[in-house]
Amino acid sequence: MKKEQAAPVPFPGFGRLQRPEVGADRASAGANRHLTDLIAGKLLFFAALVAIAAVIFIIVFLLRDGYQIVLETGAWNFLAGQNWNPAGQNPAYGVLPLIVGTLLVTALAMAIAVPLSIGSAVFIAEIAAARTKAAIKPAIELLAGIPSVVYGFFGLILLTDWIRIAFDQPSGSSWLAGSILLAVMAIPTITSVAEDAISSVPREFREGSLALGANHWQTVKNVVVPGALPGISAAIILGMGRAIGETMAVLMVTGNAAVIPDPITDVFSPVRTLTGTLGIEMGEVAFGSTHYHALFGVAVVLLFITLAINSAARIVISRIQGPQGTARPTAHRAFVAAASRIAHAVSAPFGGVVSPRTSQRCAFFLISLSVVIVLAALGMILFGIVVNGAGAISWEFLTGSPRDLGRAGGIFPAIVGTFYLVGGGLAIALPLGIATAIYLIEYTAETPLTRSIRAAVDLLNGTPSIVFGLFGFVFLVIFLNFGISLIAGQITLGLMILPTIIRTTEESLRSIPGSLREGSYALGATKWQTISRVVLPPALPGILTGAILSIGRAAGETAPIMFTAAIFSSRFLPSSLTEPVMALPYHLFVLTTSIPGATTQSYGTAFVLLLLVLAIYLAAILLRCRYSPAKV
Amino acid sequence: MNESTILETTDLNLWYGQKHALIDISFQVPKNRVTALIGPSGCGKSTLLRCFNRMNDLIDSSRIAGGILFNGNDIHDPRADVYAIREKIGMVFQKPNPFQKSIYENVAYGPRIHGVNDRKVLDRIVEESLKGAALWDEVNDRLHEPALALSGGQQQRLCIARCLAVEPEVILMDEPCSALDPIATAKIEDLIIQIAREHTVVIVTHNMQQAARASDYTGFMYLGKLIEFDETPRIFEEPAEELTENYITGRFG
Repeated sequence: MKKEQAAPVPFPGFGRLQRPEVGADRASAGANRHLTDLIAGKLLFFAALVAIAAVIFIIVFLLRDGYQIVLETGAWNFLAGQNWNPAGQNPAYGVLPLIVGTLLVTALAMAIAVPLSIGSAVFIAEIAAARTKAAIKPAIELLAGIPSVVYGFFGLILLTDWIRIAFDQPSGSSWLAGSILLAVMAIPTITSVAEDAISSVPREFREGSLALGANHWQTVKNVVVPGALPGISAAIILGMGRAIGETMAVLMVTGNAAVIPDPITDVFSPVRTLTGTLGIEMGEVAFGSTHYHALFGVAVVLLFITLAINSAARIVISRIQGPQGTARPTAHRAFVAAASRIAHAVSAPFGGVVSPRTSQRCAFFLISLSVVIVLAALGMILFGIVVNGAGAISWEFLTGSPRDLGRAGGIFPAIVGTFYLVGGGLAIALPLGIATAIYLIEYTAETPLTRSIRAAVDLLNGTPSIVFGLFGFVFLVIFLNFGISLIAGQITLGLMILPTIIRTTEESLRSIPGSLREGSYALGATKWQTISRVVLPPALPGILTGAILSIGRAAGETAPIMFTAAIFSSRFLPSSLTEPVMALPYHLFVLTTSIPGATTQSYGTAFVLLLLVLAIYLAAILLRCRYSPAKV
Repeated sequence: MNESTILETTDLNLWYGQKHALIDISFQVPKNRVTALIGPSGCGKSTLLRCFNRMNDLIDSSRIAGGILFNGNDIHDPRADVYAIREKIGMVFQKPNPFQKSIYENVAYGPRIHGVNDRKVLDRIVEESLKGAALWDEVNDRLHEPALALSGGQQQRLCIARCLAVEPEVILMDEPCSALDPIATAKIEDLIIQIAREHTVVIVTHNMQQAARASDYTGFMYLGKLIEFDETPRIFEEPAEELTENYITGRFG
């Protein structure tokens, strides 16, 4: 197709010098920008390679060591064994009670959280006045950021006592306590995402229904909620992922006995989850032992559960993004049909028998009630921590070192340690993550390879943080011989937030319309010029929001640092990267679970941690409002 | 045609994956005239337009065969600088696509990426380009406000100004009025005729009246083929092909 030409090189670039005064300028720019374009592309490629290699390395590392337990005990004995007792005379590595524990705790948590969350979402999206909505929506999003160790602290000092007394049980540490706590933790996430889905149902649908004489509730029930069902399902799956991956809060309140409740409906029985097992046993395991391999086996089971949840989410989301009206695979249809049938069954008592007006009144009452319950539960936790915590705050508490195992003195080293850990994690993850996302979105086409990279990133994105803790502990602390150190914690946290940063940056880049890129290319811009000047500036608020949310998450996480970086009590700040540090979430965890008589200090630590994390989330929310699309 | 030719295609074929989107297209675009491409949806007219500035390069599944000459040079020559081609052959899109920047920065973007950084020179280019796009009088007091605050018609004229700022020889317009109201459309049509005094314009349009009003030459495309290409009055008054006649008289389309 290409003709051989003996003529001089056509289009050598910028030959037309109609404006003599800019001539020299332009000629040199022509050569430079090609070089810049080339270098930028190579750098991005290299960063993406490092990040993707890290992601794949973690997955392969876990699978390799996890596979050993299958060789040592047999797949059936491991997965279906009813006895988990690694420390006994005859060690047993049956993971079934842990799987059952995880599923039971999660299922009951969802049974509590889903109706309350969807009720709250409908209230915010459909019933609340604009001003109420403007207040409640960010408040609920803010609550999604409360660190799990704070919930665990609350659960341990109030919830388990309440269950023990109210239900006359020998101990309140139980399946029920874990489920209630997880429900409270999952509600903000589910509510927030479901509310987005309900609000994004086009107004025309509502108007079409109202124009037929349907009342508000009939419209909500028959048009709005079914229209938002894919988004609501995605919200539930997201909340479920968060509940399954939770370690600290669950570990603190479920009693941790590796038994299957007998009878299976005994909600007061103690249970132990997969994540809790890793959290409890990881620190004391001998490198390379059967127990060690069994813990990797547990991590791999968690990985597969994450995979299943991700796949479910992907199916639901493809249902949302797919073109309207095309035939869907039966599995999707069956799922959506089942979900809408449940929705109808739930709402059925309010229809048919009673008049539409009465059913609307009943429904709206229940919906409002669910908001009241949610706000009351979250308000109670916050109120308790703020009131008791504020009393513990003093100049000495904020600037001093802990004394008497944390019963006296301050938490200054923990505050600084948290900043060190988060700052280091961010310094690792932010450049790598953003570069990887840019490379994936702007430089690669959709191929099987990029699809598998995305799947791997997604898999790690949903992986419980304790699994990163396990990887960091075994690979960084033991294998690379970093020891319990600041650097090991920073790398572990960095790896934990890397997938989140990649994903949010990708989403943000994807939201920039292709027409803008075309507009830039049509003016003769190079790829890098287009990316750096046209694509990145409007994508920046979204990228920053993702980064800030990652900071919040990293600051509040306990599981990834408790075996890689954190020590309980230190009078000094670390002087190098190889020394261990104190950190707020870990300090709170140890104070609460192991140090009797430190309740005041616990409240104070929880309060400081809460303030820190909420301030970070508030910054993200304000940033988003400041740069909302309407304002350009 | 005895006028000088600026763009020329010979046996141009293009595939999107399996779909044969352009079939054996050979014609010549005369310099400093308005050439319109008409035809029903999906006939390939936008695809043909996007061949001239190699925007189809951005679509991975596309494959092209046959020659396109711009001022006698093959635009697919391996030594050709695709960015320089796009600098000389500008494009205005169907939907206005101003960048999320100020009005001033939108127009200055092109010169900036091509190495112009002198503020005074940029000021002059922005003013000239906005005047050239008949937008200056409406925006000269708010150059630093966001471009997205403009109306649809103003946004499209801004995109034309942005295109003029890099001094292209050819301006490709892909249904530039399809998202606009009649008044904004009339303004753009006047602008097209004005621009064509110093530039070559190739415009894809759905609107036959627009082709009749604003163009000197018209090509009718159907199912990926260029059925007929001639001076606009001839196409609309005495077309040679029956298909063309059926289309312009509204019997299908």
